[in-house]
Amino acid sequence: MTLKPSEQRNGNLVLPGERLGVIEEFIPDSGTYVKDGVIYSKIIGRALMDMLNRRVSVYPLNEGAVVPKVGVTVIGQIGNAQSDNVLVRIMGVGTKKNLSGIFSGILHISDVSDRYIDSMNDVCKPGDIIRAKVISGKNQIYHLTTSDKNLGVIYGFCSLCSTLLEQRQYEMHCPKCGNVERRKTAFDYGKEEI
Amino acid sequence: MNDKQEKLIDKKGIRLDGRKADELRPLKLEVGVLPNADGSAYVEHGKNKILVGVFGPREMHPKHLSRPDRMVLRCRYHMAPFSVQERKSPAPSRREVELSKVIRESLEPALFLELYPRTGIDVFIEVLQADGGTRCASITAAALALADSGIPMRDLVVACAAGKIEDTVVLDLYDAEDKLGAADVPVAYMPNLNAITLLQMDGTLTPEEFEKAVSMATDGCKQIYPMQKEALKTKYMHIKEETQEETEE
Repeated sequence: MTLKPSEQRNGNLVLPGERLGVIEEFIPDSGTYVKDGVIYSKIIGRALMDMLNRRVSVYPLNEGAVVPKVGVTVIGQIGNAQSDNVLVRIMGVGTKKNLSGIFSGILHISDVSDRYIDSMNDVCKPGDIIRAKVISGKNQIYHLTTSDKNLGVIYGFCSLCSTLLEQRQYEMHCPKCGNVERRKTAFDYGKEEI
Repeated sequence: MNDKQEKLIDKKGIRLDGRKADELRPLKLEVGVLPNADGSAYVEHGKNKILVGVFGPREMHPKHLSRPDRMVLRCRYHMAPFSVQERKSPAPSRREVELSKVIRESLEPALFLELYPRTGIDVFIEVLQADGGTRCASITAAALALADSGIPMRDLVVACAAGKIEDTVVLDLYDAEDKLGAADVPVAYMPNLNAITLLQMDGTLTPEEFEKAVSMATDGCKQIYPMQKEALKTKYMHIKEETQEETEE
């Protein structure tokens, strides 16, 4: 839901539990809940009453509770790496880049890219920062994919000296020790601020 | 204590600290005081000073405590060693463990726990200075901190106590009244849904006195609720101005 500031200004500031109307008047939309036929706000935000379509919604004023969901892009750090899958510590979800905790995700070799990949060692190494997309939330862990141009490693570190790697064509070079490694990088490698 | 002989309430109905029977202590509420927490609040209720931080929703640790169908709410009520006259051991006492549970249960009905399965939300309540009625002040502040964290809520929760001192039912006991008085009835209340989420009693009251205490405490809650709303609005009105300035630039 995107709104111009002028539209946001129209709404009154409402708090959780504030009464917005009854279901006979409005269709409850995002940010609201219904109890006994009465529509209440469930977040802090601006109440938007769409008199034309008779809808009432609350436009949130803070980021709200953010959890990874299927289809959302996340940012995480590689934890334990095995030859066919790696554990990812998800630190940022969508636009919220600093969660107060971490969520664990898993990136399997079959979800890395369209092409054949021999080993996870050619994709990422522990400590790397990656951007990935959530494809499933089943089995109590988030399954991730990097099969897209804008997904993959955004910051890679040398496995010998932990220096930030530089991208050269298909290989990654360590400016300090000259080590050459491979990564599945995102197109904007080393550019995004975290 | 030397005021044992002294009357807790005089003939005119004025209490030891100068309040009337149905008068609250001065209350100050602030929202968004901790930059590292997802939501936070600070309350000064009389001489009580309480800081609340909310973290989450985040992955539960240990993982086996998480529930596949809902979020888990965890509360930790803790009194600082310097919060009372005699140094209190920083280890959680029996009383603190119980209050943590009681506060958790009074906040749970206000949350949509089923919206965030397999996650946990932590509420840390730190009592910096205690002067009676800390559980009520904690609940009031914790509800503010939860709302500030942006988690969907059915309603804010507001809490207030009533009690009996020398055969008079009074509102909002402070430490001396709590210790020397006859009874204490803390009540947590959701004002818009008109629902009580916490009701305790210690001491003895007749059924009539009990009913009077409950209605007095809910009236006290209704007095606190506008202040709670005001505290949230102060923060979020401010945020609105900031976003407007940004868009204008």
